[in-house]
Amino acid sequence: MFSISLRADHLSKTYGTGLLSRGRCIFREVSFEIKPGTTFGLMGPSGEGKTTLGRVIAGIEKPTEGTVYYNGSPLSGIKKTVHAAFRRRVQIMFQDPSDAFNPRKTIGNSVSEVLALFKVLGTEHASKTREMLMTIGLPEEVFFRYPSQLSGGQLQRLALGRILLLEPEYIVLDEPTSALDVSVQAQILHMLKKVQAEKNIGYLLISHDEVVIRFMSESCGLLENGRLKIIN
Amino acid sequence: MKSHASSTLLEVRDLEVSFQGIETVTVLSGISFSIRESETLALVGETGCGKSVVAHTIMHLLPPESRVKGAVEFKGKNLLGLNEKEMTKIRGKEIAIIFQDPSLALNPVYSIGHQLAEPLRVHQKEKKKAALSRAAIALKCMSFENFSECINYYPSWCSGGMNQRFLIAASTMLNPALLIADEPSKGLDKKCVAELETELKKLKVERKTSLLLISHDLGFVQRLANRIAVMYAGEIIELADSSSVFEKPLHPYTRGLLNSLPEKGFIPIPGFSPPLNSPPLGCRFHPRCPLREKYCIQVHPELKEIDGRAVRCFLYP
Repeated sequence: MFSISLRADHLSKTYGTGLLSRGRCIFREVSFEIKPGTTFGLMGPSGEGKTTLGRVIAGIEKPTEGTVYYNGSPLSGIKKTVHAAFRRRVQIMFQDPSDAFNPRKTIGNSVSEVLALFKVLGTEHASKTREMLMTIGLPEEVFFRYPSQLSGGQLQRLALGRILLLEPEYIVLDEPTSALDVSVQAQILHMLKKVQAEKNIGYLLISHDEVVIRFMSESCGLLENGRLKIIN
Repeated sequence: MKSHASSTLLEVRDLEVSFQGIETVTVLSGISFSIRESETLALVGETGCGKSVVAHTIMHLLPPESRVKGAVEFKGKNLLGLNEKEMTKIRGKEIAIIFQDPSLALNPVYSIGHQLAEPLRVHQKEKKKAALSRAAIALKCMSFENFSECINYYPSWCSGGMNQRFLIAASTMLNPALLIADEPSKGLDKKCVAELETELKKLKVERKTSLLLISHDLGFVQRLANRIAVMYAGEIIELADSSSVFEKPLHPYTRGLLNSLPEKGFIPIPGFSPPLNSPPLGCRFHPRCPLREKYCIQVHPELKEIDGRAVRCFLYP
């Protein structure tokens, strides 16, 4: 059935399978669905494979079994060009913002690199980046700074801004606030909500903090002992 | 006078720290606080407000390009006047520190036992075997059941929570009078934080250790601290008892900080904390303050004492 959503269907992931070892199962038979404009929260203790599941959903890793369906079509066994289009539409935001930017490049360079990669015309760069800065609420002067000269909160905003330039439909948020202070965490969570309402983006929010998940998401799942338990 | 000296363990007066580079950046200014015996004082505030610099100043661990003014008195002795040799005798023995990241603070190529025995061998010149057996006893106190095995573990074999407890064991080995814990709960999950809390509480009750707790985790601070000093942009802006800070915060920044807690519904403070190389004129919080007046922009407020607590704001004359 065709539906506009990002759906995980009976995903399993096992690491280290080979001739001699049976491997270690990270999770098995995981199924859930994210609709545009909604948030699915994923929680669980550390080391239970939340991040791995996020990476599988974002297409960075392949599942051992099961398929991810993007708007109704399966992602396994598709052409590279089709997959590239998917990669642009489903983005991932990492835990530590200071690792997300190249320390040797100015923020401006890091951001325009993304636009060049996705073949956005040079004439559109300025207008697009200005609009992005408006959304994330930072002044234009940050483009001349290096990552080390900005705070964690500012970098996390820019990480989101850089993703928004690609006009994604879904974003996997991997612990977006766990490296930040409480006051900055509140700012980032509110900004994420605002962006979602404006652009109708679907989120997969990974966090070990139950309060954050409750605040952000419509439905959520608990990943424990390799199984996903859906809680509404 | 003498009774006053015995009750106050550490006194920091008008501490000013600046780093000299291409331009001089004043990181801390006018920091004053004191810690009594078996008391826990917490320093809270946003990242980059200078909390860790306070800890490093007390321990003489600042880089050479730093300039320090003011006084840090520990048991009536000014620590800032000591040379490195005299400081080595105090560091680890009288004042111990637990650093932010447990896996980075432990040496990966030495076993846990070796690292735990090191303070005993350095400060008390104990033999290796005796020191190791005392290390095992210390681990037993940290509620490790297989303590004799743990001695031979390496930091990479253990979880973050275990490493954190090894560090606490190592730093409390010599019964220091003051323990500085710099973001001890950072990067640990809830279960480990709960364990850490019990250990620190036990330490306070059993050994009467004073604790300078540096953290931005307000829930953790509330459960442990007797008094709280809130820092913003290199200054202490509020200093009061733990309960009164949480029940009746005075400074607008403290109120904002408490409102951004999950329990209050993540209400953020607008704007960013200012860069320390160009702090705003007047009150440093005024660009983000909802209650600012004209004079807040021009005049810098002093820390004023009212009803046993101190606050740096013109709202409280």
